[in-house]
Amino acid sequence: MALKNIEKQLNILDYALSSLWRRRAKSFSILLVFAAIIFLLASFQMVTQSLSDKAKQVLAYTPEITLQKMSAGRQEAIPLAYREQLAGIFGIRRVVPRIWGYYFDEVRLANYTVMGMELENMPEGARLDASLANGKMPGPEARGWVFVGHSIKEALNLDERYTFSLFRPDLTLKAFTVSGEFSRDTDILTNDLIVMNLADARDLYGIPAGLVTDFCVYVANPKEIDTIAKKISTALPSVRVLTRPQIQKTYQVVFGWRSGFGSICLLAALAAFVILAWDKASGLSPEERREIAILKVLGWETSDILATRFWESLIVSGLACILGMTAAYIHVVYFAASLFRPVLMGWSVLRPDLHLLPRMAAGDILLILAFTVIPYLAATVIPAWRSATVPADSALGG
Amino acid sequence: MLIELSGVSKIYNQGRANEVRALTNIDLVVEQGSMVCLKGPSGSGKSTLLAIIGCIFPPTSGRAAIADRQLARLPDRFLTLHRRETIGFIFQRFNVLPELTVLDNITLPLLPLGVPPKERKERAQQLMARFGISHRAEFPAGQISGGELQRVAIARALINNQPIILADEPTAHLDTVLSWEFMEIMQQLQAAGKTIVIASHDPLVFEHPAVERTVTIKDGRLHAS
Amino acid sequence: MLLNPWSLALTLCSLVVLMLGAVAGKTAARVLRFWEPGSDTNRQIRLENEIWLSSTLVAYGLGFQIITLILFVLAADQFCQVIVGAMCATGALLANPYGMPALMVKLFGVFFYGFWILLHQLDIRSEHYPLVRIKYLALLLVLPMLVLDVSLQTLYIAGIKPDIITSCCAVVFGETTGTTTNLLTTGYSQQGLLVVFIGSIVGLMAMGWGLLRRWQAGLAGLYAAGWLWYFGLSLVVIINVISSYVYAMPYHKCPFCLLKPEYHYFGFALYGALIPATFFGASAAMAGLVRGKTGLSGVVDYYQRFAVKLSLMLLLIFSGLSFYHYLKYLITGGEG
Repeated sequence: MALKNIEKQLNILDYALSSLWRRRAKSFSILLVFAAIIFLLASFQMVTQSLSDKAKQVLAYTPEITLQKMSAGRQEAIPLAYREQLAGIFGIRRVVPRIWGYYFDEVRLANYTVMGMELENMPEGARLDASLANGKMPGPEARGWVFVGHSIKEALNLDERYTFSLFRPDLTLKAFTVSGEFSRDTDILTNDLIVMNLADARDLYGIPAGLVTDFCVYVANPKEIDTIAKKISTALPSVRVLTRPQIQKTYQVVFGWRSGFGSICLLAALAAFVILAWDKASGLSPEERREIAILKVLGWETSDILATRFWESLIVSGLACILGMTAAYIHVVYFAASLFRPVLMGWSVLRPDLHLLPRMAAGDILLILAFTVIPYLAATVIPAWRSATVPADSALGG
Repeated sequence: MLIELSGVSKIYNQGRANEVRALTNIDLVVEQGSMVCLKGPSGSGKSTLLAIIGCIFPPTSGRAAIADRQLARLPDRFLTLHRRETIGFIFQRFNVLPELTVLDNITLPLLPLGVPPKERKERAQQLMARFGISHRAEFPAGQISGGELQRVAIARALINNQPIILADEPTAHLDTVLSWEFMEIMQQLQAAGKTIVIASHDPLVFEHPAVERTVTIKDGRLHAS
Repeated sequence: MLLNPWSLALTLCSLVVLMLGAVAGKTAARVLRFWEPGSDTNRQIRLENEIWLSSTLVAYGLGFQIITLILFVLAADQFCQVIVGAMCATGALLANPYGMPALMVKLFGVFFYGFWILLHQLDIRSEHYPLVRIKYLALLLVLPMLVLDVSLQTLYIAGIKPDIITSCCAVVFGETTGTTTNLLTTGYSQQGLLVVFIGSIVGLMAMGWGLLRRWQAGLAGLYAAGWLWYFGLSLVVIINVISSYVYAMPYHKCPFCLLKPEYHYFGFALYGALIPATFFGASAAMAGLVRGKTGLSGVVDYYQRFAVKLSLMLLLIFSGLSFYHYLKYLITGGEG
């Protein structure tokens, strides 16, 4: 009995396929619109997901704890002398002062991120040079040497030459020589980044000696981050203590929120589609009525007709999913999600030229199915039932 | 007795303003292997009677037993299950699905029975060979001649080897030659043991020598003749 | 956390199911009120048609429920990234008091829909439709269940505040019974647990075999009870024993991470065997309850044998899956 049932469902599936093919104009128009909606949703999901993956990668390079001095609710330079007050806190591996800021290039109308650090003081594993593509990080003695990201190189036309100059606040020029370039794998972080010696950064921004913008605190045991953070904020009440897990969660919330917001916009499109699907499914032409009545006289049960309609919906939505998701993957990976980038990015004027590589786990596919296939199936079930209850006797007479 | 109706009535829209009494107190017995013609003008209740014999809907009152099964009070699903085992239908204008091939049209009743494709094809091929339409198997049913269409409809009514053949005005849209041919085939089927009920007001049908009995229906009542 | 794609998907699915449930509920009310077997009125014809609508809606409901159940667990797994202290779905589900109840209601829903479909399938095998009233009374219960499901889920999602400190599963399901909230008070040893687990498997096999040889209503009831016990026990065993062998981490005891790609979606196979097995094992006795109705005895007998055979087969698969990682660990010593 179970086997007969499977055989029957296969027969009905077969019939559903041929029935879709017979109404191919209608089927394909639904399929294409549906695939387009799935394409939008899936691209959006893939972009946010791979961006948040990127952000996670980026955060791997940030120190466990960052200290900034706050005054009147705004960040200001932090005295190097504060370092001594941290010396007594057990569990701190290293404290590295940093000057971190933006540089607006008025000629090219672009924003660069400048980071000056005592690179040689950073603990193993946290160094940015892990991601170096080529060249050598500037050492403590190497004044005037910088390490740049990809789009800095492009913007400053550094293909042939290795030197460029930036303005100090007093409009005098400071010359730099490029000693290396970051790998493109970390583009989201390093694309618009110029890394230099702490002393060079101080010179460039005209920050007085004894002051930096923030401290990077590295801890010995990541499980103690919160405890150490608490101790620091007791020791230095005027300092804002940012921990990596905190930043990470904030990013997650922001990404989740952004993609949630985007999803809502796309849901509107989906709603429109569902209405269309309902409409298409419920408009029963005289030919379709006649076909159903004939089938019923020939011994098809109401549930068999319903099964036919179910298979039709499933085939359409399945195909639309495959089409839409494949297109979305191509869009995100090979066209860098060009449709959505203005919405989702904006770290800097120089847009990172990202290579997004979404990972599609079963869960992500299920999420997209939940957004698309379920409303579609639900929208077609009642029209399907209406069509399945066409009385058999309407095939007689006349 | 394959078909046994006693005191059968059918009322549409019962208890409403638009109530219609389509059949009143019908008694009819059809023996196995006989051929009976139901005669009557349109609107006489002929189609309703055919639908009750064809297990499409149950009578409102009275007893109707088709192939030893009482139809009264039977839910729709069980009428369908019974119908597909016992009744082969030949519709007016034959009601094929024009975009499906001849083969697919003939095998339509087998799909919900869970008959696998290979067996479906074999059974259809036997019937197509018998009626000389094998060369048309892969043609869309909308593109074949009227005579071939008629045989497709007959083959479809026989595909599940049902004991009763019901035909609803089968010759209404056929010329004399084809109508005659149709009755010839019916006669052969009767000889092979099928029970045949034809609703028709075509003299070519009810005057055919194979028709053993003609009953006339008028205003929902039977008049034997 | 309502504005998150996972929350939105869950909410959307719930609303869809609620809508379908409302339509089915309307049919149920009409059937209960106006059903007249054997009558030839238009209303009865319509009601007979509506039976197909409601059964289709429930079948869709079952499908959607299974999807939302998975989605809910996966969503919790996503939420844990924003909840401080939660490292996997367990922590996220315990972040507020609504998580676990919502999960339980969803799981219960899967069984409920399953039983309803069984009832329906039995009912339409008899030309008297003897179970119509029971079936539609049960269907009326779907609505409150759906409302409960949606409310718990919404409360849970709305209650997720990205900064609540939650315990991660190592603490939650761990052996250190301390001040932290424990889902399972684990006073028993892994070895003892495994002995009971294997004993239960053997017991179920024996009962199933006995039933197939000679059907006894009492034994069938025992078999059903045995399955319910085994279902609970399996969850405990999965949490306490199996999961850590799959993860190859002694303190990672989580029944949900099994569903993740890192573990080759092992959990889908595991739960995909356990849940249907429990359903069929328990439903054999349930079907026996309606055996006395007109025209059902043959169908029920057929179904019962089928269900017992199927549950035994699934039990074998589930046991094989459960012990696979454990044995692999014992043989390779955790190197493989």
